[in-house]
Amino acid sequence: MTRLRHLVWMLIAAGVLVLSTSQGFAQGRPDADEPGLVADDTYELDPEWQKQVVYYRTNEAPGTIIVATAERHLYLVQGNGRALRYGIGVGREGFQWQGLVTITRKAEWPDWVPPPEMIQRQPYLPRFMAGGPGNPLGARAMYLGTTVYRIHGTNRPDTIGTAVSSGCFRLVNNDVADLYNRVPVGTKVIIRQKPEL
Amino acid sequence: MRTFRGGLIIGLAVAVLVAAAAVTYERYDTKTLKRTQRRGEVLCGVNKGLPGFSIPDDKGKWTGFDVDFCRAVAAAIFDDPSKAKFVPLDAGERFKELQNRTVDILSRNTTWSMSRETDYDFYFPAVAYYDGQGFMIPRSRNIDSALDLNDSKVCVQGNTTTQLNLADYFRANNMKYTEMKFDKLDDVVKAYNSGQCDTLTSDASQLYALRLNLSKPNDHMILADIISKEPLAPVVRQRDDDWMMIVKWTLYAMINAEELGVTSKNIDEALKSKKPEVMRLVGTEGAYGENLGLTKDWAARIIRHVGNYGEIYDRNVGADSKLKIPRGMNQLWNAGGVQYAPPIR
Repeated sequence: MTRLRHLVWMLIAAGVLVLSTSQGFAQGRPDADEPGLVADDTYELDPEWQKQVVYYRTNEAPGTIIVATAERHLYLVQGNGRALRYGIGVGREGFQWQGLVTITRKAEWPDWVPPPEMIQRQPYLPRFMAGGPGNPLGARAMYLGTTVYRIHGTNRPDTIGTAVSSGCFRLVNNDVADLYNRVPVGTKVIIRQKPEL
Repeated sequence: MRTFRGGLIIGLAVAVLVAAAAVTYERYDTKTLKRTQRRGEVLCGVNKGLPGFSIPDDKGKWTGFDVDFCRAVAAAIFDDPSKAKFVPLDAGERFKELQNRTVDILSRNTTWSMSRETDYDFYFPAVAYYDGQGFMIPRSRNIDSALDLNDSKVCVQGNTTTQLNLADYFRANNMKYTEMKFDKLDDVVKAYNSGQCDTLTSDASQLYALRLNLSKPNDHMILADIISKEPLAPVVRQRDDDWMMIVKWTLYAMINAEELGVTSKNIDEALKSKKPEVMRLVGTEGAYGENLGLTKDWAARIIRHVGNYGEIYDRNVGADSKLKIPRGMNQLWNAGGVQYAPPIR
């Protein structure tokens, strides 16, 4: 009898432990940001997220960036019914936005200064992190209008195709460097969301 | 004598009328929905085996884009997608079997063309899948346009429209090519796989399927260029407008659902939506379903059981399938493609 009671208590304790750690994980790392982790540049993306030329019909001028968040794709309009398509990671639930902005600044291996809102939500984040391979902003950043949002690289290529960010759009480092070389400051960026019910 | 002649004339008149009625009935079938409902299932003519579009597994369970479309029609009528029965038909017999009413609908990668509507008295209600001829190349060639294919050796199946389109395209763009022609598609693929040609041309949907059979699929890519129009559409008999409308609006309901963000996963939430367009789609406002001869929730049934257009695309031929065909022209009109459905209102 006592043995059985022991067992029950052990099971309950184990259950509580599992619950608390998994919840701690969910709350503590909502962002899938892992400052310090060096990106695995050999990581192979799913074909869906690999950079490719696709058919794309649009009224927007060549050189325009269109971010289709629901699809997790970023299109760079090429004209003549085509676009260069990149796989991206997008903002998680509650961190989705849409609109028209322009690229106001470009930076290579940018430093990371998480904005105060983000620090408040995720107090464990560093207040400043110098640019480099372990930086969650990755190899390049393109600043969007006057917002706190950017198109940037990542040290977590496995998050491409998912909705985990705080509203930024992340590409793998090779792709973000490729995009960076193709677009100047002043580039028009259109962000589209899925329709609401 | 007089009465006999009179009787003869009346008898003759009746015979003529009956014959005319029979001919009319034979030619102008207007009862497909009723027969379908009486039978309790929709008979769908499908391809015998085309990966991504319609193919049975070893247990006889059908999957594919065309198969799911037919299930959507069954869901709209019966609230049960399993009420679609699949009749495998090859390309040669498909039109005859539709005319003979062996099937209610062809949902079988059939290209919509003018002569097919006029010659067979058929109607293609709407384009389900925009296909077209494209090119597969080894990735190592490092080009991204078909206009860079000058001086290529091109593998192609002989005696097909594909071969003619190829000639037209190269001529129109002042490019030269060497044709490597084979009678059988298998031989075309073998030749390409062994490096005998620089590129292989066929319909794009087929190129993605053929690529799976190459020794190193990932070393090959399909160019975004499409050089011919192959609009694949379901087919029904002419002069049964009620049935044609059901088939047409089944497809349009799925496209509208994607545009409005209604999916098989959030359909219950959509039924509570206060957005007028969503309410008209799912039947919480208006009598659009009744006017089709179905129920108010006809579209909700389709979306719940089968999904919206994007869902059936992704699952069967797109990102979540083995084929991984980019949406391309089949993306919605407001997201870079040409899929466009008239509104439900």
